[in-house]
Amino acid sequence: MEYFIQQFINGITLGGVYALIALGYTMVYGVIQLINFAHGEFFAAGGYMGVILLAYMTGAGYLETHPFLCIAGAGVLTMAYTAFLAMGVERMAYKPLRYASRLSLLVSALGMSIFLSNGLMLTQGVFDKPYPSELTHGGFEIGPISVGYLQVIIVGMTAVLLVGLNILVFKTRIGMAMRATAQDKIMSSLVSISSNRIIALTFAIGAGLAACAGMMTGFYYGSVRYDMGFVPGIKAFAAAVLGGIGNITGAMLGGVIIGMVEVFGAAYISGQYKDVFAFIIMIAVLYFKPTGIMGENVDDTRV
Amino acid sequence: MRKQLLTMLVLGLILVPFAVSPAATKTLRIGSMSPLTGPYAADGNDIKNGTLTAIEIFEEEGGIPGFDEIELYPQDTACDPKQAVAAANKLLNLEVVGVIGAYCSSSTIPASETLAEEDIPMITPASTNEQVTERGLPYMFRMCGRDDDQSKVAVQFIKESLNADSIFIVDDKTTYSQGLADGVEKECEKAGIEVLGHDHVNQGDKDFSALLTKAKSKGADVFYMSMQNHATGSLMTIQAKRLGLDAQILTQDANMHPNFIKVAKDAAEGVMVTFGYVDESTPEYKKYAKKFSAKYGEIGAYGTYAYDAATVLLKAIKESGSTDPEDIKAEIMNMNFQGASKMVKFRPNGDSGSNYIVFVIKDGEYVKYWDPAKGKL
Repeated sequence: MEYFIQQFINGITLGGVYALIALGYTMVYGVIQLINFAHGEFFAAGGYMGVILLAYMTGAGYLETHPFLCIAGAGVLTMAYTAFLAMGVERMAYKPLRYASRLSLLVSALGMSIFLSNGLMLTQGVFDKPYPSELTHGGFEIGPISVGYLQVIIVGMTAVLLVGLNILVFKTRIGMAMRATAQDKIMSSLVSISSNRIIALTFAIGAGLAACAGMMTGFYYGSVRYDMGFVPGIKAFAAAVLGGIGNITGAMLGGVIIGMVEVFGAAYISGQYKDVFAFIIMIAVLYFKPTGIMGENVDDTRV
Repeated sequence: MRKQLLTMLVLGLILVPFAVSPAATKTLRIGSMSPLTGPYAADGNDIKNGTLTAIEIFEEEGGIPGFDEIELYPQDTACDPKQAVAAANKLLNLEVVGVIGAYCSSSTIPASETLAEEDIPMITPASTNEQVTERGLPYMFRMCGRDDDQSKVAVQFIKESLNADSIFIVDDKTTYSQGLADGVEKECEKAGIEVLGHDHVNQGDKDFSALLTKAKSKGADVFYMSMQNHATGSLMTIQAKRLGLDAQILTQDANMHPNFIKVAKDAAEGVMVTFGYVDESTPEYKKYAKKFSAKYGEIGAYGTYAYDAATVLLKAIKESGSTDPEDIKAEIMNMNFQGASKMVKFRPNGDSGSNYIVFVIKDGEYVKYWDPAKGKL
């Protein structure tokens, strides 16, 4: 039982990371029906920006005196930087293709993904960059079960961001504009909603969340690497599809399910098959419910 | 008319490379194969640089009679079997007389079969899988040790020095890492050490929490980690320490890398590693080290073996006065000299013996800890 609970905690942490990345996929898909394959690279870029900022803060000596302020500051700056990066990518690679076929957009996204990950490799090198993770290594014990502070932070942050995002999309005027753009770009522009601006905003929010996940992963695993975006990107994409692409709560749920299945597959069967289990679940769900778990009322609630 | 002239001109240009003889000087061509890009680029470049150092020292000491210069054609294998075979074919087209490489066993094995079609001698400085020299290829040689020797030393260490009764093994499923892990499992069973589990991860995985929780719940005395790459090894070490895995971590030669300590930091303290012993006090090592570090900086793990491998090849060509593979092989089999890494003496199957010892990471450095012949150092 302890073993089960310990693995459950591992699973929900991993699921939280996937969920944060999956949100970006699902939001962008909701608005312009594009699978943004460069999204995994936003995650990696966030991880790198975080480590660069923290290195400067360590150099200036602030990290030791004000660790939490520094990490929070680095987090905000990283999210902002990645949001701008995503808007730039959207402007260069997707906006000119707004009225082209969806296949051209997809190819453009794949190209952007390769460009960004190789750009990271060339500028940052092929080796892992270590995170100053000593600060967050601690944890506490509940009986025989050990929980890391970082695991609590990851799960907590994910929950807060989900609630925040739901409020943004369903309770604010911006959210209403986003939903309107998702439903009908031409119609919404007739009521003076700038669809270009809304699309850029969607990219920015999705990338900010991915950057947050990237930084937390950096702390959690202790290092970042130029190709770190690829595998989690694919998994998060699977999570978004599993939950019903276009649906925010679905992406969240999908992320947690994929994380759980992976961890329990590795825990009770074998570590080498964990990716297989993750994708089997996705295929099984899509077989019985092609729109994904929450994907029923796509037209009304998608972002 | 003008069109015909133009066509003639173009045709003429196409023929230039065939018509003009490039070599006014007589060049001895040798090839090297190693991953120059990708995650193993550091070790791969060490191999290339070690080979270049050998050539430089050889040329300074008089070169080879009958040849004006020695040229190296370094090829990138990226630790990919397909690319390794393509590199081997390219070297065949370049008409090299011998090849130093490759790095990953999964590259060396297919590449050596391509080279064997033209009887080109190949000396690997880094591939430790048994199969490299067990396939009956007449011109395949190995400068480094073998996995079955490494696993024997590891298990002997576990039994004699650590006095452990149980072990949990994990590998990441490459020819090399899984071969070694299987060897350790087999040796443990022979030695009466209980194997509580043998699990695998995929290359590129980052999250090992499930696997490590499993290992912790089994409560083994030793956690044996066989990884293709030190990046995976360091991630797993960090997570193991954080999860409170208190088994002794023992790992293998691929984790003998400065970056392993740089990434794992405090978590690396106390981790033990098996690696080939190099006596750094011999004049041969000092000569090599001086030349290498002056030009290429810090000496990596496999540069020394590559240096010895290239020296063996060049020496054989010089002393036999021939580039015929049969003559080269005869000369190599007769060799018995002190190299930079060890005493060079080959066995009939192409192996040159192993010299694994155990290192421990202490205060951010690899420190020699245990020798199978002498016990604790």
